[in-house]
Amino acid sequence: MWRKLKQLGALALQDAAWVLPATDRCQENFQWLAAEIVELGGEALLFDGELLVGDTDAALRERFEAPVRAVYQQVLAELEQPQPDLAALSKQYQQTLRHDYFQCPLADQVRKKLLTANRDA
Amino acid sequence: MNWVTWENVGVDRMGCAWLIRRHIDSEARFLFVPRGSAPLPEGAEPFDIPGVRLSHHAGHCSFHAFLQQYNLDDPVLSRIARMIDEADTVQEVQLEPVAPGLDFLCEGIRLISPDDQSALDRAAMVYDALYAKLSAEVAPT
Repeated sequence: MWRKLKQLGALALQDAAWVLPATDRCQENFQWLAAEIVELGGEALLFDGELLVGDTDAALRERFEAPVRAVYQQVLAELEQPQPDLAALSKQYQQTLRHDYFQCPLADQVRKKLLTANRDA
Repeated sequence: MNWVTWENVGVDRMGCAWLIRRHIDSEARFLFVPRGSAPLPEGAEPFDIPGVRLSHHAGHCSFHAFLQQYNLDDPVLSRIARMIDEADTVQEVQLEPVAPGLDFLCEGIRLISPDDQSALDRAAMVYDALYAKLSAEVAPT
């Protein structure tokens, strides 16, 4: 496969490609990390990409959404237990929100449950 | 003197502009150019643009670069630099609970401001307030 790609004159990007949703904030974070890599003597290329083959947009999006949803589900499950650790769970909610690029509907449920649990505690 | 940065200012550049006016150049004039535009205008010091002197270095924000380049040795300014680091860059260690709020407010200031210049002017009050509050903490009377 390597020789076939070379025969096409394709560029090999060394080591790694990292993907984030195309928001202004993500682009800015990537831009500064790229500058940091260059400063350290490395090479960084920043692409605004369009997915053509290998996966669908929905499937790619799911790869961001699945771990976020899993945490929310876990928090919801723990809130059903007696004496949940509300401080720890609310912290987990806040941390997960930062990666919730596609506004998972469970976030609102978690928030409401945390507020209710707090009132009942 | 003239200072130039990209359009659509946020927490770091609002802080830098405040720092410039208060500690470096009280007569500062700011120019704004579209993101990525080249060449940069002559006769203006660029800041918070990738690759320039007064920009992100070693994972720190541009405000941090100003403190180093202009030898501004003030514990309160260093605290503000740490807050902007946490607000504007990816940091593994997070020590400043104010940081996400500062970032959020600065984004809001940009939203309610007709242009970048007025956003900088308005944000100066936030940084004055931050400086005053931190001074009271650092050196309690």
